[in-house]
Amino acid sequence: MFRLIAETVAAGVGTVAFALIFHVPTRYFARCGFTGAAGWLVYLLFRPGLGSLPAIFLATFAVLCISRFSAVQLRCPATIFLISGIFPLVPGLGIYQTAYAFVNNATQEAGSIGFATLKTAIAMVLAILLGLELPGSWFSRLAGRWSR
Amino acid sequence: MAEQEQVFETVALAGEVLLASGAEISRVTDTMERIARAYGCPELDTFIVSNGVLLSSGGNGRRYQAKVRHVPLGGGRLDRIDAVNQLSREIGLGLHTPAEAYARLKEIQTAPPRPRWQQILASGVGSAAFCYLFGGTLWDAAAAFLCGLALYVYFLLLVRGRLSKIAMNISGGAVVTVLSLFLVHLGIGANLEMVTAGAVVPLLPGVAFTNGIRDIADGDYISGSVRLLDAILVVACLALGVGAVMAAYSRWIGG
Repeated sequence: MFRLIAETVAAGVGTVAFALIFHVPTRYFARCGFTGAAGWLVYLLFRPGLGSLPAIFLATFAVLCISRFSAVQLRCPATIFLISGIFPLVPGLGIYQTAYAFVNNATQEAGSIGFATLKTAIAMVLAILLGLELPGSWFSRLAGRWSR
Repeated sequence: MAEQEQVFETVALAGEVLLASGAEISRVTDTMERIARAYGCPELDTFIVSNGVLLSSGGNGRRYQAKVRHVPLGGGRLDRIDAVNQLSREIGLGLHTPAEAYARLKEIQTAPPRPRWQQILASGVGSAAFCYLFGGTLWDAAAAFLCGLALYVYFLLLVRGRLSKIAMNISGGAVVTVLSLFLVHLGIGANLEMVTAGAVVPLLPGVAFTNGIRDIADGDYISGSVRLLDAILVVACLALGVGAVMAAYSRWIGG
């Protein structure tokens, strides 16, 4: 439980750090952090029951929906939240492990980890594609209700 | 300058700034068309790819104008995308003359980056946070923090854009790996892979990956595949940098 909360906070902090590297204006930092933290929380909550891939899929989908909602609500490009919020979900460890196994001539291991990493990336791609298909009017209606 | 030419220049500059800052193709096209319409030149045609802006207007008794701008693959300036987005809304409301909008775009184009110390610190904090997410301990995160700091010190103070992108990513991966090996040997951080993987995250091509997918989703296949290729190349270079150091280490020093 401690780890769950700590990781969610770390995801939020990490997202804000990357928002800064991408020169996101300071007024959006809080929402960027929230987006990244929410994505990671969704991942953590669904991973035990559904497995890693569906959890990544749902988490990416959540990041995308929050980004589009925030874009409508705060009247700014969704890219701002999407690019920074998606960072915690990018399989950095998998990429590293693939390279490591590769140089150690553990070709089979490199192949299996590399393939798993690729599957993670594809799950993210699918979630982004699906999230972009949702009609924009849903988000504007939701944002309208929120601000009233 | 004639009004018509000023509008043309303004639209071209808006496209150029957006593309160079890492906007999706559809955003560049939409924004350019919206500005052109707001200034009463709906007959403007645009063709945008990931590294170039082409536009032309004229016909029906008007003078022909054309412009081609080469825009190197860039990205990571979300502040500019936000500012142009804001400006194009205001233009739509009729708040700016074309000359004013052009001047504002020039301002946006030359807006300074964030101070270097902030970027360096953010790289450290980001590396530490992601090291922890990968399952590292707090000590691992501390080591990743130092590696992340060193990575951006290397980029912003030593390299300063003088290396090609490929050389930058290979050497960046190598710098991070050397430093994490060193720190783990000193006893700061116990899990080498968590430390290195965390510290490599600032190099991961998040903008290229996300935008590539969005472009492909919008049907801009040329730009989308170029951006995804860019992302794959960056990851391959990183892996090469990390891998070369690891291979040298295990051969000569012993893992």
